[in-house]
Amino acid sequence: MKKLSKKTLNKSFFTWFYGNLTCFSQEHMQTFGYLCAMLPVVEELYDDNDKQKEAMSTYTAFFNTEPQIGTLVVGMTAGLEEAKANNQPIDSEAINGIRAGLMGPLAGIGDSMIVGTLIPILLGIGLGLSTGGNPLGAIFYIVVWNALMFFGMKFAYFKGYELGGKAVEILVGEQAQAIRDSIIMIGTIVMGAVAASWINIHTAWVLPGGGELQKTLDGIYPKMLSGITVVFCWWLMTKKNISPTMVMLLLVVIAFVGVLAGFFNPGLSY
Amino acid sequence: MDISLFQAVLLGICACLSSMPGLGGTTFGNYTLGRPLVAGLVVGLILGDVRSGIIIGAAIQVIYIALVTPGGTVSADVRAISYIGIPLAICAVKGMGLDPATTQAQSMAAALGAAVGTLGTVLFYGTATMNLIWQHIGWKAVERGDFRKLYVVNMGLPWISHIICSFIPTVIITMAGAGMVGIMKSYLPMDGIAMKTLFTVGSLLPAVGIAILLKQVVKKGMDFITFFFGFTLAACLGLNLIATAIIGSFFAVINYKVIMAQNKKTVVAAGSVDDDDDEEDI
Repeated sequence: MKKLSKKTLNKSFFTWFYGNLTCFSQEHMQTFGYLCAMLPVVEELYDDNDKQKEAMSTYTAFFNTEPQIGTLVVGMTAGLEEAKANNQPIDSEAINGIRAGLMGPLAGIGDSMIVGTLIPILLGIGLGLSTGGNPLGAIFYIVVWNALMFFGMKFAYFKGYELGGKAVEILVGEQAQAIRDSIIMIGTIVMGAVAASWINIHTAWVLPGGGELQKTLDGIYPKMLSGITVVFCWWLMTKKNISPTMVMLLLVVIAFVGVLAGFFNPGLSY
Repeated sequence: MDISLFQAVLLGICACLSSMPGLGGTTFGNYTLGRPLVAGLVVGLILGDVRSGIIIGAAIQVIYIALVTPGGTVSADVRAISYIGIPLAICAVKGMGLDPATTQAQSMAAALGAAVGTLGTVLFYGTATMNLIWQHIGWKAVERGDFRKLYVVNMGLPWISHIICSFIPTVIITMAGAGMVGIMKSYLPMDGIAMKTLFTVGSLLPAVGIAILLKQVVKKGMDFITFFFGFTLAACLGLNLIATAIIGSFFAVINYKVIMAQNKKTVVAAGSVDDDDDEEDI
């Protein structure tokens, strides 16, 4: 009965934690990170070079997902490889099937939960703490983000190793879905506050009667122009499928026309 | 304000570590050092002006608050935004005699950061393409069964890609760019159309960053209610971000309980239906 040592599992985890994207190319995105993470596992399970070659060939298939949540898959395959070495009914094809099947769904969950929600919430709070050039915001983000990810990924790796195929339940079960939905809600509310605090769109337009348009707008709903601009950009990207870069270029045109028309005026001079 | 060779070299090393795909690793490189908020602190320390660094980094951070790179396609390059854009923005703001804390200075930084970030995507594709060479060496090693070489391929050789695509461009552009501010100042007056447009663009750009994020969570108009709930808390009630996060968590807990209660109800209902309709199911 072969059993992977704690030391080997740790080595595999750290190799993935650091090296999941270091040798990225468009052709093989995380494949080399994966191969390196599996190497300590394979070396401990098989003594003979031919068997090592055969085992490693499983992991030469293309791999790409959200690498932080993808740690779960690496842990799972370490567990499955151990089972395979102990002659349990599992082969390379089954391992690769699981890997390929999880890549897409985990990328979706990771991109929306980690990159699209957790990071913006932490950055939003960090921005709030940075007022006036205070370094506390950046320090808060560095400490909290790295601690959450390091322990989170370590947990995912070892859960994946212990539970094998069943580990996926943690992420896609009914309860997980409800938690995800609720966390996204916090993210959306915080983003609303970030938008209101950090977008400052003002008009310099003077109304025919002599009043300032900006004051009138503030009376209706403060920061109205900022809110409208966000919805407008969202509409262009979501409903019209325009790329972010094109939206930015369009804003350059709008700014230029707005300045010519006197709608925008930053009011500066040397 | 000038950037010395030593300072440029430090910025260049940070560029190698922080990019996607970078040598600081995904979590600490790309998602920590590469975030403009953190880079503001780092660049501020390197250039000896932490306050300006943080304020300008934060202003640029809003545009890139949700920089997702699905399937390895990027619309902006973090190393360029953070370690070329931020130093240049600090030089520009100080060279023009603006106080970094003003909205105008932040608009200018945002416009510069976004321009550099978009142009910088060429660095991303350069690095990724050059890594193909090391991967080719890696495949040869796998065929031979010389697996130890994989570590060199994955974590050593990509340094060469980064020296060429991250380090050298950062050193050259930051050193040359710092001197450009004087030229810009004499040819482009602040009250001219060009500069007015630049500042206006900078004030509009953060809206794109927020919209990129909302693209993922807001599918229909109704979903905007959650967003404008947070917006109103800050805009009308003047709550700060921590207070908003706490209020948001409160509603999230309620939301979670509602969903779980609904799930339970469905299970019970489905269970009772199953009992009656066993035969029809078969």
